[in-house]
Amino acid sequence: MSALSVARLDLKRLLVRPFAWTLAAIALGALAWVFLQNLNAFLIAQPKLAANTAGPGYTDLVAVPHLLAYVQLCLLLAPLITMHAVAGERRAHTLPLLFAAGLSPARIVLGKYVSALLYLWALLALVALMPVLLARATTPDWGQFGAALLGCALCVAALAAIGIAASASSTHPAVAAIAALLIVLVLAMLDTGGHLTGLSVGWLAYLALPTHLTPFMHGLVASVDIIYFLLLIALALGFAIRRLAAEKVRG
Amino acid sequence: MPEPALLHLDHVSRRLAGREVVSEVTFSVARGEVLGLLGVNGAGKSTTLAMVAGVLRPDSGSVQIGGDDLREQPELARRRIGYLPENVPLWPELTVREYLDACGRLRGMSHAARKTAVDRELLRLDLEGQANRLSGQLSLGQKRRLGLAQALLHDPQVLVLDEPGNGLDPIQTAQLRELIRGLSAQRATIISTHVLGEVEAMCDRVVILHAGRVRHDAELAGDRGALDKMFLQIAREGASKAA
Repeated sequence: MSALSVARLDLKRLLVRPFAWTLAAIALGALAWVFLQNLNAFLIAQPKLAANTAGPGYTDLVAVPHLLAYVQLCLLLAPLITMHAVAGERRAHTLPLLFAAGLSPARIVLGKYVSALLYLWALLALVALMPVLLARATTPDWGQFGAALLGCALCVAALAAIGIAASASSTHPAVAAIAALLIVLVLAMLDTGGHLTGLSVGWLAYLALPTHLTPFMHGLVASVDIIYFLLLIALALGFAIRRLAAEKVRG
Repeated sequence: MPEPALLHLDHVSRRLAGREVVSEVTFSVARGEVLGLLGVNGAGKSTTLAMVAGVLRPDSGSVQIGGDDLREQPELARRRIGYLPENVPLWPELTVREYLDACGRLRGMSHAARKTAVDRELLRLDLEGQANRLSGQLSLGQKRRLGLAQALLHDPQVLVLDEPGNGLDPIQTAQLRELIRGLSAQRATIISTHVLGEVEAMCDRVVILHAGRVRHDAELAGDRGALDKMFLQIAREGASKAA
């Protein structure tokens, strides 16, 4: 219950700030533009695509790239939304209030994580709604779209967890945002060098986010990819909880 | 017969950044008693109060509330302690009412209990007219009163106030003192301060803390000059040792 109280409080604080609404408006505006661009390209290519019955369709060329664009935007959005989570409390001297209310570090971290996740998932739902609105005019591959949506939701959840971990280890929200941005960029580009040079990067490729997100985009839901994201979330939140618990012990 | 101690600190020690900030501190506070924790800046007052409030964990020793150890039952802090830190903890984007409601929710109070408690504290602390203002826009005195309101919301048995008079003008200070005296009847109250006058105006007993150690623990006698002299002597001793 306490974690939910923290989540509710954080969500309320997030939604009364113009910052969260401005970010949401910019993100949705940018993605709507990307969606229209993709749709336009799809309509132009439609005569050629119609000739090939096994070729890519609306889901491959419009819906999935649209969801992927949101994940790419979240590389920046998640650190910005989570930067205040713990670092902001520390800066405003409100952490003692949470500790004095008998809240454990785990409950504080989970509450803050849930609130950030609800915000990012609400945006994801709005983003996913754009291609869904055209579903009656076309024939989407619902299986592939569902898998892509699940992959995006998991990836965004991992990015939010990394943001919370960075916020828990910083005293300034801006430092937390930069740290989280660097971590997620490294995770996102870990295998880029290998791809560019054509060399095998082995376990580095395994650690990279795209390695586990791409199968979802193709409609493949593999337990190994789900476990990767869940592990990443658990590791990041575990780190944040330890960092906050240490604050109580070390001061 | 004296009241049994509601709050008892037993040889509490705490190191911060490799330095012993609080060392073997022992004292008790009974119900209805106001204890003044007096000391110069850096004496260990805030660290001691943070341990009483459950915000910091003691390295050794125990904090007991009604005989129950805070380390073994951290939930006690939630139910029985009201804490106002030195820097008033506010979420400036929330209104006064929303802030108090959120504090009550964090302490696990039901909707009905929160509503009653918020109305009661707004009235008691003269914040009714500010209920719909953003807490970040309040004056310093109003912020202090709001901080006190959140500490009292769940009607705690132990009230822990860290330098509550900091930054207040003389009128606000007088009002705060009167308020704290009025609140202390049913609870054990600890107030930390480095202002001797505050102790004399509000407290029944004084503990002088210096370099993390208890140097004096006694009921306040009528002789103001003697306490004044003792406090200055302890502070000067410490300063000369440090030099």
